Amino acid sequence: MAVNYINRGSAATVQASEKTRDDEWSNLLVRVGRERDRASFEQLFSHFAPLIRGFQFSRGGQSSAPEAADELIQEVMFRVWTKAPTFNPGKASASTWVFTIMRNCRIDALRRNSRQPVTDESLSVEDIWDDSQDEQPLVFLQQSRNQSAIAQGLQSLPPEQSHVIEKAYVEGKSHSEISEELGLPLGTVKSRVRLALKKLQSTLVR
Amino acid sequence: MIHYHPDNNMLLEYASGSLSWAQSLAVSAHIHFCPQCAAQMKMLNNVGGNLLSASAPVASVEREDSAIFGDLMQRIEARENEEHEEPAVPAKAVRERTSRDPAFAAVPPVVKKLLAQNPVLKWRRLSKGLKEARLKTGQNELEVSFHRIAPGSKVAEHDHRGKEITLVLYGSFSDGEGVYSTGDFLVREPGQVHRPTATQDQECLCLSVVEAPVALTGLLGRMMNPFLSLKPQ
Ligand SMILES: [Zn+2]
Repeated sequence: MAVNYINRGSAATVQASEKTRDDEWSNLLVRVGRERDRASFEQLFSHFAPLIRGFQFSRGGQSSAPEAADELIQEVMFRVWTKAPTFNPGKASASTWVFTIMRNCRIDALRRNSRQPVTDESLSVEDIWDDSQDEQPLVFLQQSRNQSAIAQGLQSLPPEQSHVIEKAYVEGKSHSEISEELGLPLGTVKSRVRLALKKLQSTLVR
Repeated sequence: MIHYHPDNNMLLEYASGSLSWAQSLAVSAHIHFCPQCAAQMKMLNNVGGNLLSASAPVASVEREDSAIFGDLMQRIEARENEEHEEPAVPAKAVRERTSRDPAFAAVPPVVKKLLAQNPVLKWRRLSKGLKEARLKTGQNELEVSFHRIAPGSKVAEHDHRGKEITLVLYGSFSDGEGVYSTGDFLVREPGQVHRPTATQDQECLCLSVVEAPVALTGLLGRMMNPFLSLKPQ
């Protein structure tokens, strides 16, 4: 069932099909944005809901409660529908775009659960994590190439580097939380992240 | 030309959502000025997108996905009906006291939003040539404030209580280590002593975010200001 292509032998083939599929999700998103097409939206939902749930379950703790994951799915997909008219496939792939929405939903949930009340006058998460700042869309092909270059780069990272990257993104942990959890000096975590990013950077099409 | 950027570690924490709210605010404002970091963010978000599409899909446990989708569509429909019925409430006019101030003219949108929430800035004189206005951000662990240094002023030598981020929004200043101009993003660790000086012909406006445990020990300067520990000149 799991299409986990990271660290798999047949990575290249899986990756190629993932790439075309990602283009497909982008097309669906564009259609949802332009035509408010519900059938396309349902297809997107069927694809992303299990992925979001998988991502969320990897976090462990309270967030792995099924209700919490279902709530997150609903919130993310609600925003996907609302924001779809602003989706630009030259700026981000569908999965990257959905990732940023999911990240923002998680930040919102964390704030709601924190001791400090969210007052009306607070900035919203979209004010700070503002993706409209990216004013230089690439041509679609380049954007799509970069996406698969990074997928390939992620696969080729040494395990100790991909481990910290996954902890940061999937589990949403800060460097100091990762260092505490793994019993590693903070400097080691930081340098692993830097090395990983350097490697990913080198795969990009310029 | 921007010479000082948040490092890759901080950008990654921002992209993955674990960087504190106030520090994220400063990073966001820097990205507005900096195409290089905007490009880096694109890559970092891409990493997140790849990890999402590579995550092992998990089928629903509690309720069928079709039921969740049904709920979602109901919510969407309810929301769209609301939008049709209720005319949008006109946005509350924002008092922009700072609108005629050249230092605030070209600040990033996120800083404009921050100004809208803090329509009246209360400037306090911290030392000769240095003024500060604290901002409400709905968060207490970190102090967010504007600092203004008058043209050519030398600020008293000081060190920092907690890690401090400074983003230059207008003008420029220098200290023993370099010259910082609009868009530059500086991180000072606690204990780093420095003495900023504004450029001769222009005042300087900065946004700063400080980890701010208020400790009232020692010198008089620290009593009047939990953010800077001023050394007597
Ligand atoms: Zn930068």
